[in-house]
Amino acid sequence: MILLLPLLIALLGAFLLLGFQNPRVATRFALCVGGLEIASLAALVWRVHVDGALQVGRYLRADGLSSFFLVNIAFISGLVLVYASGYLPLAGKGRFSSPRWFYALVFLFLFTMVSVCLSANLGLLWIMMEGTTLASALLVGFYNTEGAVEAGWKYLMVCTVGIAFALFGTIVLYLAAVKAGMNPAAALDWVALMDAVPRMGFDPHLVKLAFVFVIVGYGTKIGFVPMHSWLPDAHAEAPTPISALLSAVLLNCAMYAVMRYDAIVSHATGPAFSHTLLLIFGGMSMVVAGLLILVQRNLKRLLAYSSVEHMGIIAIGLGLGGPLGLFGAMLHTFNHSVAKSLLFFSAGNVRHNFGTLRMESITGMSRSLPQTSAALVVGGLAIVGLPPFSLFISEFAILSEAFSQARYFVAALVLIVISVVFGGFAYHFLHMLSGEPHGAPENAKLIPSEYMVMGIAVLCLTFFGARIPHLFGVFVQEAMVVLR
Amino acid sequence: MGLVEIATGKVLSSFSVFLFLTVLLLVVARRISTSVLLFSVQSAIIAAGVFATGFQERLAEAYVVGALVLLIKVIVIPRAFFSLVERLKTSRDVKAWTTPTQSVFIAAAMIYLSYAAVHSYGQAVNVPEDSLAAAVALILTGAFLMVSRKKALMQMLGLLVLENGIFLAALTTTFGMPLVIEIGIFFDILIGLLLMGIFTFRIRETFDHLDVSKLRRLRG
Repeated sequence: MILLLPLLIALLGAFLLLGFQNPRVATRFALCVGGLEIASLAALVWRVHVDGALQVGRYLRADGLSSFFLVNIAFISGLVLVYASGYLPLAGKGRFSSPRWFYALVFLFLFTMVSVCLSANLGLLWIMMEGTTLASALLVGFYNTEGAVEAGWKYLMVCTVGIAFALFGTIVLYLAAVKAGMNPAAALDWVALMDAVPRMGFDPHLVKLAFVFVIVGYGTKIGFVPMHSWLPDAHAEAPTPISALLSAVLLNCAMYAVMRYDAIVSHATGPAFSHTLLLIFGGMSMVVAGLLILVQRNLKRLLAYSSVEHMGIIAIGLGLGGPLGLFGAMLHTFNHSVAKSLLFFSAGNVRHNFGTLRMESITGMSRSLPQTSAALVVGGLAIVGLPPFSLFISEFAILSEAFSQARYFVAALVLIVISVVFGGFAYHFLHMLSGEPHGAPENAKLIPSEYMVMGIAVLCLTFFGARIPHLFGVFVQEAMVVLR
Repeated sequence: MGLVEIATGKVLSSFSVFLFLTVLLLVVARRISTSVLLFSVQSAIIAAGVFATGFQERLAEAYVVGALVLLIKVIVIPRAFFSLVERLKTSRDVKAWTTPTQSVFIAAAMIYLSYAAVHSYGQAVNVPEDSLAAAVALILTGAFLMVSRKKALMQMLGLLVLENGIFLAALTTTFGMPLVIEIGIFFDILIGLLLMGIFTFRIRETFDHLDVSKLRRLRG
């Protein structure tokens, strides 16, 4: 029951929200549903922590890995909902014609993402992953401007085709399992697969073929280069709360799917094949995104490319494997989410005050918008991986793993890209912060909802940078145990 | 040997040939409505394949899946397409980047490529090489239609052809996936098409045309 609760609340909430015509009532109701959703997720995570894995029927299951990603979903979606409650009224009447549709779609989107994490069956996982695309496509195109419609169409087409490849990969894995003698009814069950793979002698060619298709398919949703073309458009054109959700939650959910497959393939054929592929995709994403960061003109596109780069870092952590590499990758999914949502929230505020996101026409922010600037600076320092903040810890863990495995090429690549990205962020941010202010209201303060979510994000980044809370560390460990 | 057995054998032995035929016709079709009709025929052939497999392997689930294919891909989706074409009042031309002659050669090359690709796997997994090659050819054709046609509707159709190929691959290699999963996949396809339909209307409203090749505002 406790497993079904988060799913039911999100789904019911989405449908009930459509009944509220009044924007203010709809917003309040959405916050209530969000609160319930987070509480139910927290209860579920706690149950999994205390009692171990939970299973309902044949298709739903929560274990340590799922609950780690559920923590991520709950935390970020809470921030996003609070932020959205203040953002929508400011965004102007023409742009947010109907908050109830917005919130209903947000909850549908949440429902699909929670379902991805709770799927015990790889087929259901695929269905729900496609569901995330469908639920969010209308949100990406929500503004109905030329750019938004184009981005929405591109997002829908690219991700649907990409995910069709993942379906093919799923089928190939199913074929390998059935051929190895597994019961067809259980051949897509993740636990049964993990159990059967070491002893039943799966055809290694088929398993590898399956992983290639899966990493291309789900990699499209993660935003691996060269399948990343939808990502900057969707992030830049979506309403800001949605950009934060896409970048901080959706990409992680897709990464979660790849982790599950990586574990199966590593057990079947040894880790060399899948880990090499992860390193290649991770390396390509880092290098290409790192270079593209330098030439961006739009603040949200800059942040989107930075997401591609960080997904690359996470893939490299997974590809290196080993206790520290995996630990760093896990931690980095969470840390990146927090830092990136902080940056998107600030970008939303910049958009309100300057009416544009073109970085060349924004100057003098440090004087006209001191609070937003502070948030942007903290987020920027955190995202490039500087020491007082938590991303430093996770990147450091991944780098130490690379050094301890004597993979100096990987380590050098990561270090070089991180320095290039640092240069890019410093250049763009200094340009926006310094100079004579123009075009913005004098000393505009943050509204309470913005102040609150940005404050929480900053606290979290600093606190996790100083030391990882004990309970959170336990969650990471429990997630890592599942994959081993 | 009864009539049904004979029909089953005939369907299974010949349906990949018919699928190759639809592939070749699809790439030369100049009108959207012709392409939709061809997609419908193609799905009907696949449905026949599902029924024949179900009969031969004595799988009751296959009949449900076959009925779903017949209902959704042969009837519902093509009808929805026709009404979309009518309501969007767009020109009927598919607007291809390639000439029909080039397209035929590309399609032929893709069929050859499919055989080459499945050759090594066909023996390993012990399935009929022809139908696996047909599945790969459908996937490639779908992808080709998506990149070579400028109309938004044709991109949707390409996606459907690609999906048909994946479905056929699942059918020939494993006699399909568990039923619940199949139904979920059908559901996803329907919702996806609905959303794409909504987007085609929006593209028309905001851009006043349906030529996706002209959507190039977002770059870099």
